[in-house]
Amino acid sequence: MNHWIQQHPLTFAGLLLWAIGIILLMPARNGASKRPSPVALGLTGAGLAAFLAGFGRTDAALVPELLFWIFSVGALAGGVLMITARNPVYGALWFAVTTLCTCGLFLTQSAPFLAAATVIVYAGAVIVTFLFVIMLARQSGSAGYDQKSQNAVVACISAFLLIGAITKTLQTTSVDFPRPVIASAEDQKLSGSAENAAAEEDSEPKQESAGTSAAGLAMSSTSVQLADPEDLAVAAATPAPVPNQLSKADANTPVGSLRGLGRSLFSDYLFAVELAGTLLLVASIGAIAIAPRREEGAL
Amino acid sequence: MNSSTPMTPEELRTLMVAAGLFILGAIGFITRRNLILLVLSAELMLHGVSLSLVTFGRIHQTAEGQAFTIFVLTVAACEAGLALSLVLSLYRQVHSLDIRLWTELREPDVQQPPSDDSGDSSSPESAYVGIPRLTPAGIAPRAVPGEASTTRA
Amino acid sequence: MSQDLLLPLIWLIPVAPLFSAIVTALLGPKLLRYRSHLPCWSALAVSFACSLGVLFLLPETAPEAPAAASSVAAVEDSAANPATDITPQPLPGAAQDADNSETLEQAVSRISERAEQKQPRGPEYTAFAFEWLSVGGLDVHFELRVDSISAIMLAMVTGVSLLVALFGSGYMHHDPGYPRFFAAVSMFVFSMCMLVLSNSFVLLFVFWEMVGLCSYLLIGFWFGKPSAAAASKKAFVLNRIGDFGLIMAIFLIWTNFGAVDFLSVLNSSEHIAAVEAANPGVIQLICFCLFLGAMGKSAQFPLQVWLPDAMEGPTPVSALIHAATMVTAGVYLVARCTPLFVMAPLVQMTVSGIGAATAAIAALIALTQTDLKRVLAYSTVSQLGFMFMALGCGAAGPEVVTPAVTAGMFHLFTHAYFKALLFLAAGSVMHAMGDVIDMRRFSGLRRALPITHWTFLVGAAALAGVPLLAGFWSKDEILAVLIQATRTGQHSLFFGTILVIACGTALLTAFYTFRAYFMTFCGPERFPEEAGHHPHEATPIMAWPLRILAVAALLIGLAVGPTHLFGNYLHNTVGLTPTEAHFHIDVMALSVVLATAGIGLAWMLYVAMPKVPGAVARTLKPLYALSLNKLFLDEILYGIVVLPLKGAALLSTLIDRRLIDGLIDGLGSLPIRLSNLLKGTQAGPTTSYAGIMWVGAVAAVMIVLSLL
Repeated sequence: MNHWIQQHPLTFAGLLLWAIGIILLMPARNGASKRPSPVALGLTGAGLAAFLAGFGRTDAALVPELLFWIFSVGALAGGVLMITARNPVYGALWFAVTTLCTCGLFLTQSAPFLAAATVIVYAGAVIVTFLFVIMLARQSGSAGYDQKSQNAVVACISAFLLIGAITKTLQTTSVDFPRPVIASAEDQKLSGSAENAAAEEDSEPKQESAGTSAAGLAMSSTSVQLADPEDLAVAAATPAPVPNQLSKADANTPVGSLRGLGRSLFSDYLFAVELAGTLLLVASIGAIAIAPRREEGAL
Repeated sequence: MNSSTPMTPEELRTLMVAAGLFILGAIGFITRRNLILLVLSAELMLHGVSLSLVTFGRIHQTAEGQAFTIFVLTVAACEAGLALSLVLSLYRQVHSLDIRLWTELREPDVQQPPSDDSGDSSSPESAYVGIPRLTPAGIAPRAVPGEASTTRA
Repeated sequence: MSQDLLLPLIWLIPVAPLFSAIVTALLGPKLLRYRSHLPCWSALAVSFACSLGVLFLLPETAPEAPAAASSVAAVEDSAANPATDITPQPLPGAAQDADNSETLEQAVSRISERAEQKQPRGPEYTAFAFEWLSVGGLDVHFELRVDSISAIMLAMVTGVSLLVALFGSGYMHHDPGYPRFFAAVSMFVFSMCMLVLSNSFVLLFVFWEMVGLCSYLLIGFWFGKPSAAAASKKAFVLNRIGDFGLIMAIFLIWTNFGAVDFLSVLNSSEHIAAVEAANPGVIQLICFCLFLGAMGKSAQFPLQVWLPDAMEGPTPVSALIHAATMVTAGVYLVARCTPLFVMAPLVQMTVSGIGAATAAIAALIALTQTDLKRVLAYSTVSQLGFMFMALGCGAAGPEVVTPAVTAGMFHLFTHAYFKALLFLAAGSVMHAMGDVIDMRRFSGLRRALPITHWTFLVGAAALAGVPLLAGFWSKDEILAVLIQATRTGQHSLFFGTILVIACGTALLTAFYTFRAYFMTFCGPERFPEEAGHHPHEATPIMAWPLRILAVAALLIGLAVGPTHLFGNYLHNTVGLTPTEAHFHIDVMALSVVLATAGIGLAWMLYVAMPKVPGAVARTLKPLYALSLNKLFLDEILYGIVVLPLKGAALLSTLIDRRLIDGLIDGLGSLPIRLSNLLKGTQAGPTTSYAGIMWVGAVAAVMIVLSLL
């Protein structure tokens, strides 16, 4: 604990400031100002900046770095402003900002399809629906319950304890993720041979047989060059950490590619997809059933 | 193949941002009293989870993280729809979005905590002016007294 | 031969009433209804016949004059090996017991200092049923044992009960509780017979309690009447005090003698002496506790207050329980335990003293009572006092013991008849007067109720001690024993005082008895309005028991008193030695003078000069009030016993309600209070539940992360 604080003082200080700032930002009836106080805003901003700066510099290129900073600051700041908004309309708008920034982060995490889908679903549908409901339910004047939060201190302390614990764990525990290294085309040419791949495939008949009918796809793409066949054998003996062959990225279908995603969804998770579709149907029917009938002169 | 590559700082910080989104949503869910803000906070938590899943997928170089995120998105959409219709039907009953009006879970003999926002009218008009409002159809817009006095003056 | 016959007879005596009680209780309310007296009658008749059979067959079981055992060892040998004995053996177990006891008795009689001459000791018979209790060192057999004193008691109890049952069917006719009455009477007779037949203190205690229970049921027979309910409760509670003494005595006997059967405890005087030597004073303690039990049952001062109140029960019950049978249980117990009591002269003197005090107090109270039944009740208490006076005379010296017990038991025997007669006659009066029993409200019933009149007269004369009637002989014996006690031993002053009290009480007895008689049957004819204009004489079923009892009161004393039949029969009981019979002409003269004086005084005051009693009452107002209010004994007892108890009960209530209950309730409310602290979190806001869940989840996640 102390060790972590000494190593990452910036992160710790950032979290602390952030927490205090949120507590101060929370709407309180007895608060003199109906606006968020500048001090609290400043504290929160400083805390956020320190928290993000605590991650240190990376050797990434300037543009991705810049994009990450913009999007993460936007997402977190939008989130803070959303949960502290005195007015639900602003809250919804800040939520839209957060959503958009999250989509930007999706992009930086090589998930362009998801980014697009989220923008469409949330910004295009959910937010609008929310705003619509807010407008419908809006009373004249500002509602008292929007001016007063509850359990703010407890919630903030516990929440920041959680994120502190997560941060500390991520920063101090060296978890070595088993990370498949994707061979570049040159590597493939250097050591690549069909025999190699075939031997490799022979070495794991178990997984092969366990595969679905779509396994042929993976088999046909022989351009995959795994780093170490022996490692793979070991991994095959302990299959848990090894991801499904089918969803494994390769040169043709890098992570985040629509092809890979589609292949995963409609092969491994076909049943789940069907379930999700059913769920959507049921939910829409349910929403219609629950929603109050419109009466004369009513909402 | 399982070369012990630690996650890159980019991935680490993205995870931290995801965690931040998650706890912000949690704080909002617990502290706010507006039903709609509660639902929004829940969505915020879902954003955090989605971001984490995507990052994990990137770390593991698989498409599964994104596949899961698709499902999260689906469930979030369902949830939003259902939640909004629930909010509407609750609103229909008490004409308020305050979650504290719903205390059916309380022990029967426990005093209901005093509602400290009894005076909705007593609360001054929001400092944020100019928020668009829907006026009920067929009813003449109410004249704001302050405006009337100013025009008269 | 006689033993073969004795066994079924002994069993029939208690079993017949028990059977009757069960039959009446089960079938009475539905089937028998107003024929419920039939099982009771037949059962009591069987019992009575069996009792007579036992009474006459028992002496025949007396063993031959024993081949004198030369030494204790020889006696013990014969005790250990009863086959050597030559007595006939009706039942293996019973014969063995009898043989053992007899040989032991021989040893007793040989060694005992006070019994020089050798005698074949008491005929007795033991019927073994089964081993009832065998716990640790406690061995209680369910055994019936009959010896002389039991045989006499049985004959008296069953005989009087039979007559009372006959009378009761007339007296109780068309009472809604008719079957209940006869079931309870049968049960009572069963309990009393078993009490008398018991062969151990434990068995005796059981039936002692059952007698108490039956008396409770019968006193409270009209339980709808608050006074009857209260009286039954009072009798029950006061009896419990005595029973406490009795059970303490049983505990002491068991711990000191190691046995509770009469044979082992009473039959060997050197054993008793050894126990006393091993633990000085214990016999006195045992005897005192036994006497405490007897005081409760036999209504001795200061526990006598229940008996007059018990007159709330139906009059036949009064006659049965509170005159003839139940109250004699205490006398029987003391007489039965004579071997113990002779070792405790101090307790015997207490017995005498208490008896004298009771007799005098009851007589004084009886002087002014206006309730006919109450007068009789106090006379019962007084006569019981006489019996105890006599029983205690053994303290004067060993040679007085036998006459003392004989006199006490004889008085018990005769008293049962004439007191039952008096009560039944009073019941007849009550029946005729429409349940009015206040003597001031009627008078001159001589002509209206001729049978009742002359039977009552016989009973009153017997009670007063008119020569040749039952009471005369027994009271005479008591006075003689008192005189003998005064002349012997070192307690002459004490027994002299007792004698004076006894004489005074005898005088008072004659006076108040005839006061009641004159007030009821002489003077101008007056009836209370409840009786209607023509009071009806007793129906035959009520009249015949009166007649029979009157004849008994007239003749039974004459038959068994001067002829010493009674004494000689009774002398076969353990602990008693036959003595020569005496006629005490001087005592008889004294007795006659006392009776005549009392009767004459009553005649003068209530017939010749009916205005004088009022004047006397006015002049001696405090004394009169004292007597009328029963010497304020109830109030005094209330003050010194009930009030402190009430205070203690109040204190206990306070402690119980406030302290104990407070503690328990406090303990019980602790969870509630604690939960109230937490209940605030259950006020209902949904988000607070979510918050609590969130905090818990965070804590869980942090724990997991800290374990990484």
